[in-house]
Amino acid sequence: MAIRVNPKFIDVLDRFGAEDVQLCYQCGDCSTICPHADDVYKFPRKSMRLLQMGLSQKIETTLEPWLCYYCGQCSEQCPREADPGETMMSLRRWLISRYDFTGIARQFFKSRLIEVLAVLIIALLTGIFLLYYGFSGGSIHIYDGEGAFLSSTFIHKFNLTVGAILAVFLVINAIRMWYLVMIKGTQFAVPWWLYLKELYQLPWHFFTQKRYSECEKKREHPFFMPWFIHLGLMLGYVTMLVLVMVFIEQLQSGPEIKWSVHIFGYLATIGLITGTIYFIRNRLKKNYVQYKKSHSTDWVFVILLFIIVLTGIAQHVFHRTGLFEWANITYVIHLMCVVPWLLRVPFSKWAHLIYRPLAMYLAAIRRAALALQEVVLDSYPVFIK
Amino acid sequence: MKNCRIGVYICMCGTNIAKIVDVEAVANFVSGLPNVVLARTYKYMCSNPGQEMITQDIKENQLNRVVVAACSPNMHEHTFRNALRSAGLNQYLFEMANIREQCSWVHKNTKEATEKAMALVYAAICRVELHEELESMSVNMCPNTLVVGGGIAGMTAALELADAGNSVHLVEKNNHLGGNLARVDLTAPYLYSARDLLTERLTRIMNHKQVHVYLESKVTDLTGYIGNFKATIQLLNGKPAKEKKSVEVEIGNVVVCTGFKEFDASRIVHYGYGKLPNVITSFELEKMIRAGRIETKEGKIPGYVAIIHCVGSRSQEFHTYCSRVCCMTALKYASEIKSANPTCYISDIYIDMHAFGKGHEDFYRQSSEAKTLFLMYEKDDRPVIHKASPKDDCEMLIEVNEKLSGEPIEIPADLVILMVGMEAREDSHEIARIVNISQDKDGWFIESHPKLEPVATTTDGIFIAGTCVAPKDIPDSVAQARAAAARILARIAKGKIEVDALYSEVNEEMCSGCRFCNQLCPFSAIEFNEEKKQSYIISALCKGCGVCVAACPSSAIKGRHFTDHQILAQVDGLFCEIGM
Repeated sequence: MAIRVNPKFIDVLDRFGAEDVQLCYQCGDCSTICPHADDVYKFPRKSMRLLQMGLSQKIETTLEPWLCYYCGQCSEQCPREADPGETMMSLRRWLISRYDFTGIARQFFKSRLIEVLAVLIIALLTGIFLLYYGFSGGSIHIYDGEGAFLSSTFIHKFNLTVGAILAVFLVINAIRMWYLVMIKGTQFAVPWWLYLKELYQLPWHFFTQKRYSECEKKREHPFFMPWFIHLGLMLGYVTMLVLVMVFIEQLQSGPEIKWSVHIFGYLATIGLITGTIYFIRNRLKKNYVQYKKSHSTDWVFVILLFIIVLTGIAQHVFHRTGLFEWANITYVIHLMCVVPWLLRVPFSKWAHLIYRPLAMYLAAIRRAALALQEVVLDSYPVFIK
Repeated sequence: MKNCRIGVYICMCGTNIAKIVDVEAVANFVSGLPNVVLARTYKYMCSNPGQEMITQDIKENQLNRVVVAACSPNMHEHTFRNALRSAGLNQYLFEMANIREQCSWVHKNTKEATEKAMALVYAAICRVELHEELESMSVNMCPNTLVVGGGIAGMTAALELADAGNSVHLVEKNNHLGGNLARVDLTAPYLYSARDLLTERLTRIMNHKQVHVYLESKVTDLTGYIGNFKATIQLLNGKPAKEKKSVEVEIGNVVVCTGFKEFDASRIVHYGYGKLPNVITSFELEKMIRAGRIETKEGKIPGYVAIIHCVGSRSQEFHTYCSRVCCMTALKYASEIKSANPTCYISDIYIDMHAFGKGHEDFYRQSSEAKTLFLMYEKDDRPVIHKASPKDDCEMLIEVNEKLSGEPIEIPADLVILMVGMEAREDSHEIARIVNISQDKDGWFIESHPKLEPVATTTDGIFIAGTCVAPKDIPDSVAQARAAAARILARIAKGKIEVDALYSEVNEEMCSGCRFCNQLCPFSAIEFNEEKKQSYIISALCKGCGVCVAACPSSAIKGRHFTDHQILAQVDGLFCEIGM
């Protein structure tokens, strides 16, 4: 059955950042230089081709965009400045909007105004709610213990609620991703036991981001910088998430420092602050090809995270130095950023925390299933990788 | 033959000959033969020292025949003839034995190759003994020129010749000049107006005193030979055949610029041309553009336009060649349609994008920047066009196996433009017959050498230029027209033209007037003298091919430099026993 070409799709993707994809004339240089492309997963060339032709129903079932870590070698190599790296990036954005069943992600990616407004409104609502709650039951002069402005048991419940909302969206989106890739986009049989056999891929890629480190271009950076720093940022993030979701009572008690818990908090903070500064600096200096073009959502991502980290540090310091009023105020600001940030997760770039390891897992399953059956992925010969 | 003093030179051609053929053995064998005064070997006979060696030997040893055993005479016969001439010896007292292409390059066994080389050299010696001194002759050059075809090539050639002060007869079949260029709106890649290009030429031609334009006319006959042709130009004018006026003009040279015709798109049934109203050819679109409105047959502005390349070109079924101009023309359409209607989506369905010329690659890039969707199809897997269903937002759907993605796809289209290729005109065989030039399998006129003589033909005085030779774009056509004019102007400036001495002669005493040879001559060089009832050969036209010599039942025709004696002596020499 022939698929209908959609010449309008390229205009849609323009909004997601694929501004130069029309220049591609399919020489295949990008795929040759890519350290991750192979016979089964052909990219960026083929992904760019599908995009040019507007075969969105095909692209939404592909994993290729997730297999790219944007080292930028392809964009440097491209003889026509079609920017394959940025195209893959914009395809990831588009895929996030496709996995999201609410359509919110799509609006965020398409309009900076809508995204910023949404963040501001949620931040304001959170602020009003927290201030109301704080003043109705507690005192601005008390940070922890009896009569605290924001008691840790309340914050614990609050966090778990927000976390649950986030989890519901993320799980549904992840299931949609699985459906699109493994059911809609896989025409060959996949034995169930492969899901068990390849299960180790999920934690392996989640905690090591090994493929990120395999981008040769990245090795030119001192100490594998982007990979190392990205890993630190991610581990810091996850540690912090576990701390605030599970150990918030111990974390918020004071004023003495509880090293058994706080040491993790400090390590996580180092990872987060280094990561956010590093990425903001790169995006400002545009010194590597992958940071040359920043989508508005990229900026919201790093700036919001940076404010969260700064206010987190501030309230911690104010708390330990006895400036409880300041600690409470910065805490409210901190949460005003955290809530929109967390609620934004399933609709934004941050979702790649889940999608990337999931993609790696599904890719491995598909590859194993193919090898089992020796089925050629495409029904027509493709001469360029 | 008495008093023959032959010098034999065996070339090693670096190691090309010497590594297989034992050149010293050949020289030893030759030096023992009667009449051979000396036999030498040398690394490169064609080099200056090699040629000087020959010249010096001729002078010092009173040589009167020379044989060089080396490469093909195509390569260096001319070189060695010059060496003879500079020593004061007639250049035809020379023979070449090809021991490279016909010996060392095709054999592996040294012994056998050496024996063959000896036989070839011996045959050449036997032949050269019978060579005669021949003199080439010269004929007058009439300064007038006939230009057939009034397109951009014909007009350019005519102006070039006339500007130098020579009379030009420009014959055009249609009632206006301009040819195929007059059917075009803009030109790729710089989007110059075709009208502007033409108007300047047209006004100049119409007012030029030296250019005689014959509209609605055609050349019906051409007699004579280089420098001295007579052409008959018939005025068509729509009158009945009997009343048709004809003019006879005297000319020295002819430039044929008869152009091309476009491929008939209805021959490819897949495309439904002629059945689907909105499938049109590139020339039909040009017409729309010149009328100022690109629209469907129903009068709607198309939202999707598809352009299909290589219609009739690059396929085994129709024409195997590339028509060269369609790729850039297609990009030009994309740009023109996009500028007329910026919301229109254009799909460009191609086999390969040939952007070889100046500015073409940049033009291709501009088209990509304007988001033209380029889709590739496999050469022998053509797209199929059919009508869309009423619920679709387009008129037609084009099904194609897209090669670069490997996906079977369908492309929406309201208007489909078929980039029809170039074809030789159906009447080109007629003009080929009249001016006596040949055509290739596709009907294009054949140049005398594809690289070094791109505008000359095998008939002296007949030149070809523009798209009647092969598909080409405007700059190439203009360049060819100017090249042909330059070749002619050089001859006119000289006033006379040298004719090679290798032609055939009729012995009047022996000719019975049977006229066999008249029909057979491929160069129309033999005419019949009604008074004497005998045939005679126009030496300026004769190429010395020898067809008439072989055919003459009375053996009345002699091929100069290829007499029966000479050829038989060479054959005898070849089959002679050679002991090593």
